[in-house]
Amino acid sequence: MASRKWSTSLFLTVLLCLVALTGSAQSFRVQCPPSTVTHPIAANNNSEPAYNGPTQFGTAPINGTSGGYVTPTSNVNGAIKCQQISGGDGLATMADGTQTYMFSFGPLSGLADVAAGQPSTQFPNVFNTVYPGALLLRGDPATTDGATSGASPGNGGSATPSFTWNGAIGLQPDADALASGTCNTAFYGPQCVDGHVDPRQIIDVGVMNGNIPAPLAAFDEDDEFFLTLTNVGMIMRPDLFEQHTVHFHGYPNASSFYDGVPDASVAINIGGSFTYYYLAPDAGTYFWHCHITPPEHLQMGMVGQLHVRPRQDRVPSGGSLYTYLAYQNGGTSTVPLPTGMAADLRTACNPATDILCSATMPAINTGALQGLDKLGNPQRYTYNDGDGSTAYDVEYPIQMHGFDPNFHFVGMTFNPEMFVDMKDKYFLLNGRGYPDTVTPGPQATVTTDTQMHYSQPMPAIINIPVGGRALLRMVNLSVTEYHTLASLGIPMKEVGFMAKLLRDQGGNNTEFYTNSITLGGGESLDVILDASDDSCRAFAGSGCSATLYKAGSTFYLYTPQLDHLSNDAENFGGMMTEVHICNSVSGGNTYGNKCN
Amino acid sequence: MKATKMTKAISNSRLLLATMAALLLTATAFAAAPGISGTTFNLTAQQAYLNQPDGEAVYSWGYGCLNTTGVTFLPTAISGSCPTMQVPGPTLIVTEGQTVTINLLNGLPTAAGNTSILFPGFTVTTTGGVTGLLTQEAAPGGSVTYSFVASAPGTHPYYSGTQGDLQIEMGLYGAVIVLPSNPGNGTCDTNNVTNLYGKTDYGTANSVPGFPEKDFRLAHAAYDHPKSCYDREYLFQWAEMDPRIHKQALAQVAAKVSCTAGSVGCSLNVQTEPYHPAYFLINGRSMPDLMDPNYAAEYPHQPYNGNPHMHPGELTLIRTIGQGHWQHPFHEHANHVRILGRDGNLVLSPTNPGTNLAGILMFNTDTTPGESFDGIFYFSGRGLNWDPYGHHPVASGTNLGATNANPFPTDPLASPPCTPDADGYNTGTTTALNYYEWCQDHNKPVQSMPFGDVAGGGPATLPDPNILTNGAWYGGTPYLGPDANLRATMPACDTTRNAVCTTLLPSNVQANPANERGWAFMWHSHNEREITTNNVFPGGMLMMMLVDSREFAIDESQ
Repeated sequence: MASRKWSTSLFLTVLLCLVALTGSAQSFRVQCPPSTVTHPIAANNNSEPAYNGPTQFGTAPINGTSGGYVTPTSNVNGAIKCQQISGGDGLATMADGTQTYMFSFGPLSGLADVAAGQPSTQFPNVFNTVYPGALLLRGDPATTDGATSGASPGNGGSATPSFTWNGAIGLQPDADALASGTCNTAFYGPQCVDGHVDPRQIIDVGVMNGNIPAPLAAFDEDDEFFLTLTNVGMIMRPDLFEQHTVHFHGYPNASSFYDGVPDASVAINIGGSFTYYYLAPDAGTYFWHCHITPPEHLQMGMVGQLHVRPRQDRVPSGGSLYTYLAYQNGGTSTVPLPTGMAADLRTACNPATDILCSATMPAINTGALQGLDKLGNPQRYTYNDGDGSTAYDVEYPIQMHGFDPNFHFVGMTFNPEMFVDMKDKYFLLNGRGYPDTVTPGPQATVTTDTQMHYSQPMPAIINIPVGGRALLRMVNLSVTEYHTLASLGIPMKEVGFMAKLLRDQGGNNTEFYTNSITLGGGESLDVILDASDDSCRAFAGSGCSATLYKAGSTFYLYTPQLDHLSNDAENFGGMMTEVHICNSVSGGNTYGNKCN
Repeated sequence: MKATKMTKAISNSRLLLATMAALLLTATAFAAAPGISGTTFNLTAQQAYLNQPDGEAVYSWGYGCLNTTGVTFLPTAISGSCPTMQVPGPTLIVTEGQTVTINLLNGLPTAAGNTSILFPGFTVTTTGGVTGLLTQEAAPGGSVTYSFVASAPGTHPYYSGTQGDLQIEMGLYGAVIVLPSNPGNGTCDTNNVTNLYGKTDYGTANSVPGFPEKDFRLAHAAYDHPKSCYDREYLFQWAEMDPRIHKQALAQVAAKVSCTAGSVGCSLNVQTEPYHPAYFLINGRSMPDLMDPNYAAEYPHQPYNGNPHMHPGELTLIRTIGQGHWQHPFHEHANHVRILGRDGNLVLSPTNPGTNLAGILMFNTDTTPGESFDGIFYFSGRGLNWDPYGHHPVASGTNLGATNANPFPTDPLASPPCTPDADGYNTGTTTALNYYEWCQDHNKPVQSMPFGDVAGGGPATLPDPNILTNGAWYGGTPYLGPDANLRATMPACDTTRNAVCTTLLPSNVQANPANERGWAFMWHSHNEREITTNNVFPGGMLMMMLVDSREFAIDESQ
């Protein structure tokens, strides 16, 4: 921590520098500290520790004027996760072949992961690495991968992409700090990777690298998340000095400063970086979007998803889910905390005193134990259910959204925008219309600088292992309409709504089976596509799933708003995708995996 | 053309100026759920113009008070009025079990024909009037009487039952609030439940102007259920206007101004489809007018506003009605809402329904035409992982950042105690300005470098203010409350060395003044196209909710 004794006589003369020092401001910079007060041991912050019970705290001693606050002393849960994104523009390819202009966020970290359809959130030891190659090229990773329009390297895992690095774009050793000997190399490493960036690399990669959906963020409860938004400007609109922000939609008890609403706090100007900081909220499916002139920026494409995984995922193998939920809730009369462990009130849900929480103890203890899923990995859950009711084998984000082609054309050509007349004509799942939704691999679009960029990295192909369950994290980010998505054949079990477990204050699960879901703009829910016996045993007996949902068959997710099954004037397309029942699924539990 | 009621259109430029002045002068307006209370209401339906922020005066119809005989304005702390035409119509505040009588006089232009009122959720008996499709109606110039027992506590819509596609569009809608006869089953405002208001001395703070705050609640709970107790309350009615429909109505009414009721051709034939709204209204107004005070003079026919405020931990009741044609995803930033009841029906768990709620938690509370809901919201800062007030401990009696001269005496607001209760909040002393602070984060810094009188050591490096653009509701720093903002923008300034040293005050933050410095969160329709007024952003269905530190008294009567 820096010394606080400023010589008064110098104080005013260095006032401006003090502001700069306090902001540590060069304009572009990234932040991903290897350790913080909340996660003090750097070596532990590059992987998720198992959940053995609540974090234990003590109060840091008051030392001068520091301290006096609660810090973890043992059993530290969670880690640190970081991500960098660009705010700018880009071009996307619609399913009828039209190239559409967007305002969008693009990835400036985790580029290889994004191209594979995965989240671009990284641990510090991955984020804080300097590009190992000679030079980042315009259009990367598509350029290095040799992508051509529409073709897809990394096709369902069969081809190996050339670009494999996931660090933060532009990160460079801080040569000045090293040379002057002022670098805290114990903290930032011998190369002094302290967030200093080379703006040329950021501009080379960030300009026109917009993605729809915006880069997926995913992390775990108890993590600290640093999201750096770097405003690279909108090349096609030199008349706009547009700021951008990131609004974390749905975060309970968000701060106004990091809420991303420009009228309520601040927005980052072109040529600057702003790092949003949050301790992960409760598990669930959230999303994020720009909040500058929302009718414009959201329609133009600045929308993406964010998942928070429950700490129940980290329960040790064989552990009772009910017991570990009791630990999260500070112990119950039948399941007290282990001896010597104190409760962490932050993770507890007490319906008697908190009207806004839902992860209470389930009314029924099913005796569920932590085990393995159908892919052979530790079982994953949507929420801290304590009874296994939200378990899944594979997970897929599904973002429903629409583009109004007139509005996007006007957005590129300096004309007044008519919000009253806004009408989507392209109906998109994860930024694509059918049949592009079922084309594996990232979709590339050539932009006005003749470079290939991955514009739409995520397909919407749902691969489910036979008898298994797929978690669909569904979000509607339309700015005009409610959307409905229906499942033909495989029942949907809705387990969560707007990032809360469906459970009442008495502990009864209020989840339900359905065949369709409807969401308004800015809403999310969690649906498990249940191809297991659970969904059919009641009427078809045990073993029903093997007969009803046979390996090798294809089902559909589609919108029953039939006029939305179109790509503008093209009569069949839009919001539709395929669900494949597979003998097995390999290569991961989300997009980019392979149906065997 | 009769001169009396149709020449009230205000010129564009005057209206815009009035609007801007209103916003600037009343940067801190408030809300509550005002209305009229009684058991007999004498209402009328009339025409008038509604003012919109783009300068338009939109020809509309609305319910109003024929007279205010026997009526009380609630809450008593707000001085109210009831014109003969308002949109939404007067909010009728009654108590569970009362028999309510509404006399409606049809004051609409003759060509508009009959009008009526429906009261969904109640069993209505009628007297007089003429037979209509859905209910008894008042003929032009005539009357009808409706009567019902207010059987269901909660929020309920009322709206026209005649030619609804036109008359509701034109503005004939309003709200009935039924207060419970045994609020909270008698448990609210006591020391052992979660609503804060009745706790001893809550609302009092030593020597702070404006305290104790007045009580603006209509009741202490929304239902006869202990989990429906609340500390603040707001009513939001959501609707749209398609100006083409209103212009057609005006033209046809003008053309038939002297026709005789019941004669051939003495009726309107307004096309209400295709529906293409340009105005998106909460309580009859669009942003920024929406955030001006209740009963503001600039909007003589739009008395109700939307401008929520709350202190951390306060339970805020959100009463919402979908009027109009469309659904709207009403997004509350900063937390979820627990749905208490739908259409005045509590949603309860089968396990201990006397205690346990089962309404869903939503961060977008969808409004649906004809449907109402009541929900509870609060903000507390729990789990933020830094101290919203920028508190720091006092060591050796000196301020953080003090220089040799120590120009600032130790600031007690910078270093209050925080003693967690069983749920982790500071609730020991109800007069504490940091009442309901989340103690696990007390004194925890967010910024890595110290600045002014705020400690460093936190995880985030704050950006250079020179590369940020401030919003009108920005407090100036990440922190909550006037004291924290002053400490965070004021480098230690030693006046013995330089008499003119000064604080770094933020610019362009006039909507969140120095004595408030709240945390602003946008509450709005998330079909973002609807936060525009006639193609102009910002506008429409947009409000800013302010979480205020208890250094600032919330006075909903302004």
